[in-house]
Amino acid sequence: MSATRVDALPHAPAHAVGGVRGWLTTVDHKRIGILYGVSSFAFLLIGGLEALIIRAQLAQPNLGLVSAEFYNALFTMHGTTMVFLAIMPLNAAFFNYMVPLMIGARDVAFPRLNALSFWVFLAGGLFLNASFLFRTPPDVGWFGYANLTLRPFTPSPSVDFWNISLQLLGLSSIIAGVNFIATILNMRAPGMTLMRMPLFVWMTLIVQFLVVFAFPPITVGLIFLAFDRFFGTHFYNVAAGGDLHLWQHLFWIFGHPEVYILILPAFGIVSEVIPTFARKPLFGAPVMIYSGILIAFYGFGVWGHHMFAAGMGPVADAAFAIATMLIAIPTGVKIFNWLATLWGGTIRITTAFRFAAGLIGLFTIGGLSGIMHSSPPVDLQQHDTYFVVAHMHYVLIGGSLFGIFAGLHYWWPKMTGRLLDERLGRLYFWVMFVGFNVTFFPQHFLGALGMPRRIYTYSAETGWALWSLVSTIGAFILGVGVALFAVNALRSFRHGTLAPADPWDGRTLEWRTSSPPPPHDFDEIPPVYSRDTFWREKYGDRHGTKPVPRPPQPEAHGIHMPDPSVWPIVAAAGMLAAAFGALLQVALLVAGVAVTVVALFAFALEHHRNPAHADQVGELGVDHRKLAMWVFLGSECFFFGTLIATYLAYKGRSVVGPTPEEILNIPLTTLSTFDLLMSSLLMVLALAAAQRGDRRQTRLWLGGTIVFGVIFLGFQAYEFIEFAHEGLGLRTNLFGSTFFVLTGFHGAHVAVGVTWLATLLVLDLRGKLDVADAPKIEIAGLYWHFVDVVWIAIFTLVYLVP
Amino acid sequence: MLVPAAAVSAGGCAWDGPMSTLIARSDVARDVLDLYALITWASIVIAVVVFGVLGYALLRFRDRPGAPLPPQTQGHPWLEIAWTIGPALILLLIAVPTVQVVFRTQIQAKPPDALEVVVRGHQWWWEFSYPGLDVVTANEFVVPAGRPVYFALEGPDVLHSFWVPKFGGKRDVVPGRRNAITVVPDTPGEYWGQCAEFCGASHANMGFRVVVATPADFDRWLAAQRAPAVDAGAAVAAGKALFAGSACVGCHTVRGVSTGVLGPDLTHFGSRRTLGAGLFPNALEPLAEWVRDAPRLKPGVKMPAFAYTDEQARALAAYLLSLE
Amino acid sequence: MTDPDRGPADGGHADLRTYLVVAGILTVVTALEFAVLYIRALTPIVVPLLLVMSAGKFALVVLFFMHLRYDTRALWWIFGGALVVATGLVVALTTLSGDFLVYRR
Repeated sequence: MSATRVDALPHAPAHAVGGVRGWLTTVDHKRIGILYGVSSFAFLLIGGLEALIIRAQLAQPNLGLVSAEFYNALFTMHGTTMVFLAIMPLNAAFFNYMVPLMIGARDVAFPRLNALSFWVFLAGGLFLNASFLFRTPPDVGWFGYANLTLRPFTPSPSVDFWNISLQLLGLSSIIAGVNFIATILNMRAPGMTLMRMPLFVWMTLIVQFLVVFAFPPITVGLIFLAFDRFFGTHFYNVAAGGDLHLWQHLFWIFGHPEVYILILPAFGIVSEVIPTFARKPLFGAPVMIYSGILIAFYGFGVWGHHMFAAGMGPVADAAFAIATMLIAIPTGVKIFNWLATLWGGTIRITTAFRFAAGLIGLFTIGGLSGIMHSSPPVDLQQHDTYFVVAHMHYVLIGGSLFGIFAGLHYWWPKMTGRLLDERLGRLYFWVMFVGFNVTFFPQHFLGALGMPRRIYTYSAETGWALWSLVSTIGAFILGVGVALFAVNALRSFRHGTLAPADPWDGRTLEWRTSSPPPPHDFDEIPPVYSRDTFWREKYGDRHGTKPVPRPPQPEAHGIHMPDPSVWPIVAAAGMLAAAFGALLQVALLVAGVAVTVVALFAFALEHHRNPAHADQVGELGVDHRKLAMWVFLGSECFFFGTLIATYLAYKGRSVVGPTPEEILNIPLTTLSTFDLLMSSLLMVLALAAAQRGDRRQTRLWLGGTIVFGVIFLGFQAYEFIEFAHEGLGLRTNLFGSTFFVLTGFHGAHVAVGVTWLATLLVLDLRGKLDVADAPKIEIAGLYWHFVDVVWIAIFTLVYLVP
Repeated sequence: MLVPAAAVSAGGCAWDGPMSTLIARSDVARDVLDLYALITWASIVIAVVVFGVLGYALLRFRDRPGAPLPPQTQGHPWLEIAWTIGPALILLLIAVPTVQVVFRTQIQAKPPDALEVVVRGHQWWWEFSYPGLDVVTANEFVVPAGRPVYFALEGPDVLHSFWVPKFGGKRDVVPGRRNAITVVPDTPGEYWGQCAEFCGASHANMGFRVVVATPADFDRWLAAQRAPAVDAGAAVAAGKALFAGSACVGCHTVRGVSTGVLGPDLTHFGSRRTLGAGLFPNALEPLAEWVRDAPRLKPGVKMPAFAYTDEQARALAAYLLSLE
Repeated sequence: MTDPDRGPADGGHADLRTYLVVAGILTVVTALEFAVLYIRALTPIVVPLLLVMSAGKFALVVLFFMHLRYDTRALWWIFGGALVVATGLVVALTTLSGDFLVYRR
């Protein structure tokens, strides 16, 4: 990418663009982190306000503060906002600001994609809340169970606001996930092996894998919902043979990994804060890393514990119960390791430390109620009651939010150059701690007394009034605590003590640069000697031997920082316009899509070539873009896997014909399969030619691949038209719905591939590609081959298998 | 059983709310409470250990001015193994009885000697019928004590969940699927149930009542339910005429008078304790209000408001209340 | 570039001959898959047979055309891990959907 030279003066501003425009076009990970932080804190306050209204309504029996319909919208929006617009992006604020610093890098692997992630997230958050302005906020719960979400039961566009905004948020998260995986794996400073990375970076890495693998199932579930609502398909239509469990499975296959996405960053923060303030290393750091990996991996196998009441049968119930109990083991290990870190330390109590220590206690309570939920018979008395509400808030507030607050107080000096007031911090820590417990501990009692969730009122005879009132009082106390933090934050900008580079005597690399860091993060890429490398530099190893100081190693070509770009925000604006257009006006939809497509093309072609940065090979010996593509393809395994699983699950359940046996044309499809396979051969020939620098052959084989791709699309178009004539459409029956959506999305992927290859061909024909651009053809090739292997799976499972 | 008993007595009557999960009145509920007690004890032990160590560490290992750096211990393999195996053993202790109880209580098949009650969850009321016994009722039903009751759950609209806390766990009503739950209620009495799966505007207003009777009383109830409607005769003739001549008959069945099936069966409405699915006590005033403007009282309800005069509404209510 | 996770055959390359052989195998196996459907004797094992054959094709494209055979082990972990978990989910979803009492009104 093209670059701006920066003199090696610390604090020399590199941003040629200032003011508002500078923020709108920034690609600096630190600024993007701040953008995430500020927006998500605003959404946290909105979600908190929604919660306070909910609690006010429940303070006494039969209150009429809000209508039933509005109450249902409040808890839907509260849940959706807190999960997707508050906790996740607050975590992202830290990923963005801290991870490059902690691994000794100057930015992330794809700075403009990073900006795109933020602006798409903001678009999603604004779109969701716009539903209030249109007087149709979603009111189906944050989990939107089908079939309540279908048109016959919820005709208003409330569900569509929810659906589209979740898709935007998912897109933002997946892009960021790919970006951070590439960054962490490929951009570590020399000497930083994976096992020497700080725990926060490890947890971030694990969370990004969870994001890219867990979001596709809900993306598909939401696509099914959108198709049912807009195009008349039958995915959740009981009368046509649809299974209402499908939505629940897809939602929770995402939803359970999602809770680990929410908590692991907080665990990572605690694993930084506790050792720093106890002045000793994290106890059992390797085990903490492995337990994080295990939790994430097993997290994909326990989703059924959200469905114990759904009637999956005793075998499935028992299997999920045992899997859930198993996950408690690595989680428990973390608690004990933190306690062992404290043990024998020299503990300095600061606000950051209080929140971290608070997490240890509160998450333990949340974890224990979680263990109760893991036993189906007990869970069936707790499911959908306030007991679960208590559990989830202990882990989400006591866990995630307290972790975030620990991080805020810990890294505030680094990000702002100012210290937060410790005395005020002590005050609102206790206000929040007391307020939180007064709000949520009684909710265990309410659950035990049988109070269901999601009810806008209750009668006095239930006996729920006392604890409801106590809980409401606690909620307002908690709110005061959060407000006091905001006061401390705002005051720090004027009155906060100026912060040194290393206010806490830290252990990791972010403390080795100024507070705040210069735009280029480090004047020199720091040396890495061990885990807790900065501590090693300051205090030496076990024997007190400090490493030999390295002679200064200024960058040979000066420090290059990426230029700002306007395309991320333009693309996101296009998507936002398209989203409104989908619900309001086709013209707006078309315009929005057009703007998005133009912006994405401009984005892709913007930094077409810069000789200084043709080499983007990182620590793993792989080009950043290739690594990113493989991660994306891993994500696509889940996308297509979900589509295929739905096809298989629904096989034979259509209530009316035609059936696959009657209509699928196997000989013809065998031919089209052969065509697609051969196109892959042509693609590898194109890549080999590009790597040799043979432009003529590159163009020839690229052109050939495109032609074969178009032929495949031709076969598919012919097939779709034939089927239509023979009476099989999207909405004919369950087979039509699953078949056309599965093969249609595959065809769309082929079309995108053809477009991509055509763009490369055009660039080549105009003389703009040379040997150094071979990686671009390589990653297009990887995408193309993957689309091919997905077809191999579809061909077998849909067409061939009887 | 000791812990729930202790909990109940410690909290006095506070834990015996009508929806309390800590009071067991069926075989399933007793199984569940035993398991609940076991897990609660295990949790208390773990919590005491964690909070104890945390509290002690925070007090004992404070920074003091001039304190040297503490020993930089990195780990201790044996300790870590111990606190991996320890919790694993505790979980094993919980897992074994869990699986046993799951296989006792989550089976979907009907036991041969069970009384079958078909439960249909509607937005926002409950229909109960006894196949083979020619009884259909709504929002309140009776079962005999000491005999397995097989609840077959179905639904014509959205997801609901059938839950009587004192009988033990809940089971979802999933349209398109036949879910089932079998319990043996053991103590005569009146029990509350409520929908436990968000189902729209009046999800909060979808309660029901179960009466557990002696076998003799149950047979008497069955016989009464099977009979066609019996009202108070001339005293409610005006109300009956209103009922038979208005839109009521399009939605409600009163055996011998009307055959509508969109709303609850009202043949023996007067014998129920509540109206509107547990919303109000079944008495003249609330019923008259309901009949005039149900949507105001129960958000989203499918029953429309009617332009009855005060007198008409009371007459209608009197008629309905007389349908014992 | 000090990462100890680099693959064993790192930086190797397939040549034209390899690509053509792979393409040839893909063609033959595809034809066989089509044929197998019509050979009556194989009907009892047609499903496992088809699954194995398509898995073979899948592997060939991934290992050779996508170059994974010659790439660093990190990519094997990433893609392989995704494939394993995704396949597990497909199996779980299809199994869970078969195991119920369906009531049709």
